[in-house]
Formats: sequence, C-alpha cells, structure tokens
Amino acid sequence: MINEQSLQYYLNQAQKLEKKSNSKQIKIGIISSYTINGLAETLQVKCAVNDVNCRYYVGAYNQYSQEIISKDSGLYKFNPDVVFLLLDTRSLFGNVFYDSYSLNLEERKLFVKEKFEEIENLINHFSKNFNSKLIVSNFTIPSYSSFGINETKQDYGFHEMILSLNSKLNLLFREKNNVYIFDFNSFSSKHGQKNIFNYKNFLFGDIQIDFDYIPYLAHELQSYINAFLGITKKCIVLDLDNTLWGGIIGEDGFEKIQLGPQPPGNAYYEFQKFLKALKQRGIILAINSKNNLEDALKVIREHPYMILQEEDFSCLKINWQDKVKNLKEISKELNIGLDGIVFFDDDKINCEYVNVTLPQVKVVNLSGDPSFFPEILQNMNDFESLKITNEDLKRTQMYSEQIKRDELKDSSISLNDFLKNLAIKIIIKKSDNFLTPRISQLTLKTNQFNLTTKRYQEEDIHRLTNDPNFIVGCAQVKDKFGDSGITGVFIVNKQNSDEWHLDSFLLSCRIMGREIEKSLIAYVIDEAKKNNVKKIIAEYIPTQKNKPSENFLSECGFLKYDDKWIYDVSNSLKLPEFLSVKVENE
Amino acid sequence: MNKKLINLISKVMNIPPEEINDESGPLNVEKWTSFNSYVLLYELEKEFNQKFTMEEAMDVKNVADIKRHLQNHGIQFD
Repeated sequence: MINEQSLQYYLNQAQKLEKKSNSKQIKIGIISSYTINGLAETLQVKCAVNDVNCRYYVGAYNQYSQEIISKDSGLYKFNPDVVFLLLDTRSLFGNVFYDSYSLNLEERKLFVKEKFEEIENLINHFSKNFNSKLIVSNFTIPSYSSFGINETKQDYGFHEMILSLNSKLNLLFREKNNVYIFDFNSFSSKHGQKNIFNYKNFLFGDIQIDFDYIPYLAHELQSYINAFLGITKKCIVLDLDNTLWGGIIGEDGFEKIQLGPQPPGNAYYEFQKFLKALKQRGIILAINSKNNLEDALKVIREHPYMILQEEDFSCLKINWQDKVKNLKEISKELNIGLDGIVFFDDDKINCEYVNVTLPQVKVVNLSGDPSFFPEILQNMNDFESLKITNEDLKRTQMYSEQIKRDELKDSSISLNDFLKNLAIKIIIKKSDNFLTPRISQLTLKTNQFNLTTKRYQEEDIHRLTNDPNFIVGCAQVKDKFGDSGITGVFIVNKQNSDEWHLDSFLLSCRIMGREIEKSLIAYVIDEAKKNNVKKIIAEYIPTQKNKPSENFLSECGFLKYDDKWIYDVSNSLKLPEFLSVKVENE
Repeated sequence: MNKKLINLISKVMNIPPEEINDESGPLNVEKWTSFNSYVLLYELEKEFNQKFTMEEAMDVKNVADIKRHLQNHGIQFD
C-alpha cells in the first residue's frame, strides 16, 4: 500500500495555501448524504501541488437533493466546474439495508427500480440546471447480510440488489459526457470496508469514511480534476537496470539479470505488463539509460521474458550522456513538453538531479523493493483523460511514424523537398458529434501552437458546433508514413457579418513545422471571402508555452493594430504547393 | 504530558497554544467545531494510543474533561 499523509496534515496545509495568480483554476462542489468534512481541503492541497488553484463549496449535511434541485442553492450560485455527489447505500436503502428480505422478490426488484429512478431524476435535474461535470459515487456492497452464508443462494438478494443498481447507473451514464460514475465500491474493496467504515465515527457524526482514508479518496477524485483540466502526463521515460529488469546488464550479463515469471524477476515482469497496457492506451514510452547500447538492445531484442519490445518505445536514449541532457532530447524529439513527462529511475541521485534541474518533469524514484513497482504505477493519477479517443490508441504508432519522418528530414536536401516528399494530405472537416470529443481534447491539451489557449469541454464544443454564429472546424493530417488523425482545430466567431473573429486556432505539436497551419487559415480566409466578410480579427495571447505560434499571424499577412491582428480578406494567402487540401462535409 | 495535549489541540483547532486552557471547548473557541471535535478525538486516540468509548467521547465539553478521561486511561498529567 502506498502511504498517504494524514487528514490532519492536509487540514493544516490548507490553512497555509497561498493563491498564485498564474495557476490553473477549478471550482469544485461536494455534496453528500453523509459527513464528508476534510475532503475539500485535502483536494485543495493536492491541487496546489499541481499548480492548480482550487476553490470549493461543500453542501450542508445530507442536503444534496436541495442543492441540485433548487436554483437558489449555494451550489447553484457557486457555479462549479466539477461536482462530486457522494451517496451511501445505508441511507439510500433505509430499513431495507438491515432487512432486505422483509420484501419478497418482486418487491425487491421494484424497490431497486424506484431507487434507480430517484437518482436518475436527480441527475436529470442536475444536467438541466448545471453546466458542470458531475461525478456520482456508486454504492458499496457491504459484507453484511441478514441471511449470512445463504446470501448468495437468494434470487436477487441484498447484495445483488446493490450490484444491479450499480450496473444500471453505469449503463445510464455510459454515453453521457457530463456524468461520470466513480466506483466507490472498488475504492472500498481496495482499502477494505473494515478500515474505511468505523462504527464509532458513524454513530457519533455520520462520518462514513475514516479520517485516515479521506486523503486516499481525494487522490482518486483528483483524477477527475486532472482530466478536466487536461493535466495529463503523455510520456513515461524509463531507466533500464533495476527498473525494467533486476541487476545491471553491463556487470551481471544477459543470463544473470532478473526478469521472468519466477521471483525475484517476476516483479519486473509484472511491472512491464502494466507499462505495456498504458502504452496500449496511448501513453508514450521512452528509455533513458546509462548503458552500452549493444548490451541493452540485446536484452530488449532477445530476452525471452522482455514484455516491452523495441517498437513499444518511441525514443531510445541508451548512452553515457547525463540523464538531464537525455530527457531534454527526448522532450525535443517527441515534441512533448517536459511537464508531460514522468521519469522512473532507481537511482536516488539521478532522481534528485532531475528533480532539481528539470522541476517540470515528474520524477518517480524506484529505489525500494521492486515488488512495489506495479502498485506505484497503478496508483498514479497522472494519465487520466475524460475520454479515450482513437488518436490515443494509435499514439505510439504515430510517434514511430514521426521518427521515420525525422529520418527522412535528415536525409533530405531542403525543408521544401522534405515536405514535398512527405505527400501531406489535409482533410478539413466541420465539427460533428463524432468529432467533438477529440476537438475538446485538443483545446484542453494543446499548449505550444495555440493562439488563444482557450480551453473547451466537450459540452462547450457541442454548443458552439450547433451555434450558427460559429464555425468549429478541424483537420485530419495524413502523409506517406501514416495517419496523424485529427490534429488541428479552429473556431471562428462570425457574429459580426463584416468582421470574423478567430476564437481559437491550434495545432497538435506532432504536426508542427509542416506549414499545415497555413492551409487551415487559408480555409478560414476562403470561407470569409465566400461570405463577403471584410476582415478577420485574430489574437495572440502569450502564455509560458505558446511561443511557437508567436509569429504565425504576421507570417500569414495579418497586420497588428493594438493587441489585435487583422487580415484584409481582399488579399489572398498563397499556399505551399506540396500541401494537398480537401474539404469534407460542406 | 500537558504540553503534548495542548500542542495537539492547538494543531487540530489551528489556534495558538497560549490561547488554550482547561476551560477551552466548543462553547468558547470558535474553531472548535463539531467536526474538529471528531478530528481531535481521533488524533488523541492515535497520539496516546488509547480508545475512547462513545460515552466518554460525548461527555467532552472542554480540555479539563479530556484530561480527566485520559487520566482514567492511566495517562498522568503534571
């Protein structure tokens, strides 16, 4: 078990928090059927570690329905970004919790149906009244049953009633983008009901989560906040010796390193299996190791129990350079900011060196017992996103294609020839229901080539897509090495029929440097022309990270007036000849 | 022992130790909310390695009561 700080620690830290002006902001609401003090403060402290300024509203005890239904409620006035609704089985079931078999089979089914409808109704109210994400906890299945060992022999027994309610909730909200079910039942099993639920606290003040476990709960709930704000690590950089296998390849040799299904090598074997699964869902893997390249490659290519294969890594830095230099190069080659990287290493000094020199990189020290490695990885809440898109699932393949492109770049004569060689095809599409999740994800995650860095949740994109005053468009980019997927986004506000405003304009870092952005802006200019618009007004709002897009507007012929950039639509923008542009679903 | 108790109360209630005396309790200390009472009880159990009964917990009205119950559990105060 990874140890958390005590609740007292978080309560004290919360008192000392200072508000930073340039931090990300979030407003969270917590409403519950039981006493849940201390959770908000803990979340606030945890958010501050990620440089997030978190403000909160905690609803009065057991007033969650009123908070949702009444438009005069404190929660409604607070206008939260994310709301956590924490419910408990005991209060929902009332007397049925203690004696569910006072109801016959049909009555039990009806009871669950009614309870489900109560919750459904409440959440529908929420969706109508609030423009926020709602995270609802599901229901714990207690170990208790009045039927004891006969519980599992009952048709639609007490435990099955709760199980069925939980499944109904999952099904109902599977397709809804604003509601997520938090699996509190799994949380409860993970830490143990005996630990979480303390009768004295419960009887004393309806405290249903032991104080020591509030920080663990906050850790799990923080995943939703991270995903909401797009604070997501994109890449895991791994050391090799004593990280992916036990021992030192250069000293112990190929046959002696520990890796395989037997202990102690099975700790590394298990760790690699979890890393592989993360890679499959779109987290990029890379290596940063001080070793002889041939020794290390021999293990990666030939060791019978090496789960991670050479093609699973998008970048290999196996050399005798210092690790900070390697990390910087990895960041540059993969075009992933240092703050998108997690670095795993067993050497404390290396970890400290990276921590001090590159504070943006999250460092995980694996100097302890390797049997903890799988749990350390599973416990991380840094890889969450609100939706897993097709682009996520194909990411490693896309990065490998990128490496091939870079190789071609090295061998080409001029940049123009290189780009010509790539045979780039751009498909411009208007947003639709299918595209909104990816468009929202790009607005949340893109930092470097992003003119205004406006963040939009999926519902926002959906709303703008259906608003006749806006154009929400995106671009899919293909070339001879493969399909990079949807990687560019533009949003135009055309409320003023003479002057269109460029609300957002961004490009994923993967496709930067290929003049693709020009074809997108050319499309917008073209559309403006067709609609007899005279000017396009754009903005460059500088952030710490969007320097790569600083000169874009002037390069495209926009002229600066005060803090705005204006394009005279009677001009035309010449597109590089190597780009082939197709417009879809007009 | 007295100092240990006062420091713990000070930490939980987030008030300076010099503001705490035997009469301090929920009625005269603003930050001594019912939730902080639970947290204090919890921290006392951990710090002094004791378990309080419900009855003892509900009987606490001020610092003197806490001392009395701790003494009943064999904790000595100067």
